[in-house]
Amino acid sequence: MRMSELPPAQIPLHETADVVTARRAARELCEQLGFGKADQTRLATAVSELTRNVIQYANHGECVIENRSTATHRCIWVQVRDQGAGIANLEQALTDGYSTSGGLGAGLPGTRRLVDQFHIESTPQGTCITIVLTKPL
Amino acid sequence: MSTTAFQQVLHEQRSALLTAWINHVAALGDQHGSHEHALDALLRSLFDDILGILERQPTATLTLEHEESLTLALRQLVGEQARHGSSASTCVNVVLTLKHLVSAQLVTAAEVTLAEMSWLEQVFEQLTLLTVTAFVAIRERQITQQSLSLLELSTPVLRLWHRILLLPLVGVIDTVRARQITESLLEAIARYEARVTILDLTGVPVLDTSVAQHLMKTIDAARLLGTRVVMTGISPEGAQTLTKLGIRFADVISRATLRAGIAEALLLVGQQIAPLEGKRG
Repeated sequence: MRMSELPPAQIPLHETADVVTARRAARELCEQLGFGKADQTRLATAVSELTRNVIQYANHGECVIENRSTATHRCIWVQVRDQGAGIANLEQALTDGYSTSGGLGAGLPGTRRLVDQFHIESTPQGTCITIVLTKPL
Repeated sequence: MSTTAFQQVLHEQRSALLTAWINHVAALGDQHGSHEHALDALLRSLFDDILGILERQPTATLTLEHEESLTLALRQLVGEQARHGSSASTCVNVVLTLKHLVSAQLVTAAEVTLAEMSWLEQVFEQLTLLTVTAFVAIRERQITQQSLSLLELSTPVLRLWHRILLLPLVGVIDTVRARQITESLLEAIARYEARVTILDLTGVPVLDTSVAQHLMKTIDAARLLGTRVVMTGISPEGAQTLTKLGIRFADVISRATLRAGIAEALLLVGQQIAPLEGKRG
């Protein structure tokens, strides 16, 4: 089976243990596609941050991890979404040191720096964050 | 009410069935090298209960949950099997063995009706369900117990030298574990009047903001008790990720390896590891 044919992983997020499942799945796909150790750690940490946010702020959600490699690039696409109350002020949430829960305030802005593409949409009906890691073959 | 052929067979072959069953189960158990005589008594009581149900007038619906003595005996049996490391299929096999023995007897006897055979099926289907449920319940309890004991085991604070403590962190650090780690560390620092504490992170799989925050709090509390903290074992990738995330462990001594960390800790308390010859000379 070719790598690009691997089915996408869909991980439901309900409790802290699911954070571990999600980041392990991300790391494994990373490894299978031949990303280096630094990239594996980068993605695993990013997935860890985003999924933990879901558990902490929205209680439930899901994490989809897909291999979107092309002929020229290897590419991992991850989407973390929830039906929580959403982020009131996106600009603030993406600012270093800002946290509504007494955290470090490095999660979202830090994750944005960790990955190659970062897209966030948040409404009062929920939040959807997409991150992408790419590397030329 | 007259006895049917089905009931007659069960009655006549009762002791033969029981002996055969006990022998078969013993053979199953022998593969795992674990056969106890307490098991025989359990099988005997279970056998009586099962035959009691088989001899009843068949009913359309059957639930065994209200058969207290049977449920209890079956749970005990499964518990014994699980304790000896038997699989779920072995436990189900114990029950199914009796079914095979009974149906073998019934097939040779004439005048057993289809309704009676389907009653046999029905009873053993329910027994199998009950066995599997009991097995899963026992396994789940084992898992809960293990994760609890893992939690206790996973925060050892080691006394490395006079006034030097070592805290090797392994695995996932969540809020519960972070609290435990902090508690046991602070207690040890106070008890041993530690001047230096080495925090080894080699076994921590992912250092994200949540883990970092837990560590920072632990370090801050340790400092209040007068100990210096030396962090060790952050991988090159981990270091890169931490800086990208924007996490700074300000004023914390950090060394790449535990070896370098120990050397640093000894230096901080004015000691060193030297070869024996050097000491003599």
